[in-house]
Amino acid sequence: MNIRRHTLRAFLCLCSIAPSALGQQEEIVQLKAELAAIRTSLDSLRSLLRPQSFGNDPVELLEERLEQRLSQLEQKITAISSSTAPIVFNPRTTAFINMAARVDSRSVLDEEGATEISNRPFLRGLELDFRAAVDPYAEAVAIVALENEAGEGYAIEPEEVYGLIKRIPILESAPGGVKMKLGRFRAPFGVNNKLHLHDMPWVTRPLIVSKYLGTEHGDFFESGYNPVGLDMDFFLPSVIPGVTLEMNADIVGGGALGLARSSTSRPGFLGHITASRDWQNEHLLVAGLSGYTESGRDAPRLVGADVLYRWVPSERRASNSLVIGAEIFQGRTNLFDSSGSVTRSTVTGWYGYLQYQLSYAWYVGARYDWVEEPEAPSTVTRALSLYASYYTTEFLRIRAGIERRHSALPDPASLTTALFEVNFVFGSHPTEPYWVNR
Amino acid sequence: MKTSIIWFLLFVVPCALNAQTKLKVVTTLNYLKYIVEEVGGDRVEVIALANPKQDPHYVTPTPRMNEITHGADLFIENGLSLDLWAKNVLDASGNPRIQRGTPGHLVATSNVPLRELPSEISRSWGDIHPQGNPHCWLDPLNVQIIARNIGERLAEIDPHNAARYSEQTTAFVERISSLLFGERLLKTIGPKAGDILTRKVKSGTLFEWLRERNLLGLLDGWMAQAADHWGMKVVSYHKTYVYFASRFGLNIIGELEEKPGIPPPPQRRDAIVEQVVANQVRVILNYNFYSREAADYVASKTGARVVITYIDVGASEEIPTYEALISYLLRHIMNP
Repeated sequence: MNIRRHTLRAFLCLCSIAPSALGQQEEIVQLKAELAAIRTSLDSLRSLLRPQSFGNDPVELLEERLEQRLSQLEQKITAISSSTAPIVFNPRTTAFINMAARVDSRSVLDEEGATEISNRPFLRGLELDFRAAVDPYAEAVAIVALENEAGEGYAIEPEEVYGLIKRIPILESAPGGVKMKLGRFRAPFGVNNKLHLHDMPWVTRPLIVSKYLGTEHGDFFESGYNPVGLDMDFFLPSVIPGVTLEMNADIVGGGALGLARSSTSRPGFLGHITASRDWQNEHLLVAGLSGYTESGRDAPRLVGADVLYRWVPSERRASNSLVIGAEIFQGRTNLFDSSGSVTRSTVTGWYGYLQYQLSYAWYVGARYDWVEEPEAPSTVTRALSLYASYYTTEFLRIRAGIERRHSALPDPASLTTALFEVNFVFGSHPTEPYWVNR
Repeated sequence: MKTSIIWFLLFVVPCALNAQTKLKVVTTLNYLKYIVEEVGGDRVEVIALANPKQDPHYVTPTPRMNEITHGADLFIENGLSLDLWAKNVLDASGNPRIQRGTPGHLVATSNVPLRELPSEISRSWGDIHPQGNPHCWLDPLNVQIIARNIGERLAEIDPHNAARYSEQTTAFVERISSLLFGERLLKTIGPKAGDILTRKVKSGTLFEWLRERNLLGLLDGWMAQAADHWGMKVVSYHKTYVYFASRFGLNIIGELEEKPGIPPPPQRRDAIVEQVVANQVRVILNYNFYSREAADYVASKTGARVVITYIDVGASEEIPTYEALISYLLRHIMNP
């Protein structure tokens, strides 16, 4: 009789909470209290079981059913606790705050030569990254940046805003696993251009990126090439076992490349092919070739090559790692003289870098830049920078460095700059791709 | 004759080829690969993306992983924000069959009862997992659930071999039960022994229940090993062994990390030294992919023993299987 009474109580409790488990967050506490009551009933039930019974005993079977039901309800509570319907469809949001300061050995103007940027702190940018699935076929990414205009206020820029088509309804599987990106994006020309300012292992952009791909205020501020267009990313068949070949083929709006001296409405064509191999996720070697062209005889042409090697040990990865990389660009520019005639010239530039992780928190590295000036192809600017980065976690980085720059251009001839940077990241923060090296 | 050959080419050859085509399964972690191999048998071809020695939180997706995943029929991840990098691989794979929301994508830990669901989600708590502690496979009872999830999904995408997957899932689940409780006890209790004992373990009444029925002497396997050391106090580097400890009666009195994912600062080490001394802890669990520095410091101040542990199948030559992983942990933690 006692068994029946306890069983009845347990079942009544279960029946009463089943619908409420589908309710709102505030019901969870009540649900948990009711579950505790059921558990008490079950314990009482157990105490009444005959000690030698197991297997097909009806009380045992009843207990099994009650346990299963309890388990289902616990899962419902877990589901309600971990997410609530109104927020789950919101985009994942991440914010990046990047602050930097510089101390210079002499007065420095920004790229446009309009504003002095030496010996000043800057809030270089605030970047908001939103991303979410649109439907089963596509995702959308919107990265909106509040960029510093060399100390003369801020501009809101759609740094990257694109839709990513992952699947076409009429195709079971796209050939070569092609993924299409449509919108404004950082073009896959080389490696560094794909990175945002806050993701770089240095305080400043490599000179070839700012001078050849594009900049408004110079390499201390956000630079690079982010046109509007279509990017198709797909695998190529590889003849070498273990080597992955991947290609990006882009059609973009022309005229936005840094080397282009005038804006045009011609389409630009960009390609980037990479060959990569990794060994047990410890050693990664990636080599790439890039090319950009526009239609028209006076259009700029740019080719590039990049290489990246990473070593991250599987065990004790938090303690040591090594990254070595280099990129070289060669561009054909069109210089207009006073009579309006075009003179074609070729410029080349490269940079190489090395970064070593000393411990969980500390990284040190060096970068060397060598670049022929697009405005004066026979003049060369060289820069050597050394830096140290300290991470409290992956979300907060403090960096200090020193750069010695020498240019054949008359102003500035040589310059020494101490650089400081603090980077805050908050929000969902998606996993970084392999070309981000803290 | 010609007609026969044409019929043969049109129907028999494709059928034969189809029958021999294995399902290509890609998993994020190696323990998932092992379970898929056990449940799928010779009908599956499985590749795990992560190196089993790596910290599963911090695997860097590479182009090779993307290319491997491009050809997969089924992609299985642990989920619970552990292998977050799986999202990058899925996006870069260009494989629409395995995207989230399709039958070709499975979060293996669905329906697993979770622990440490945070009541507050903030980065100030460190690297917390919003959906609960993700290291649930270190409880063999949870691995049984995971195996059933995998078996059901294999049957769904390859219904032709559904019966075989079901059989192999049952065999794997029974083998885990046998290793947990011992063959003799299971035979004595009868056909539903695995289910009954599992319920008793989950409700924390196993030993009492067996004692009442004079069956405690028949208990063997992992639970018997654990019974001898029930309540043993340990310190752990990270909150990795929460499920393992709960199942096998370890009492984790603290973690070297003050907050998940953040290496212990010096003052934390000293605080742990005090706890170790006060609780007479003899064992410090340090995973193969974390620095030993803090554990060695605490050990040097307290005389406790540092045990290097693993969490994935294949992380060491000694642990080629899931069963070997659990045996290894029990042996090294409880029987120095």
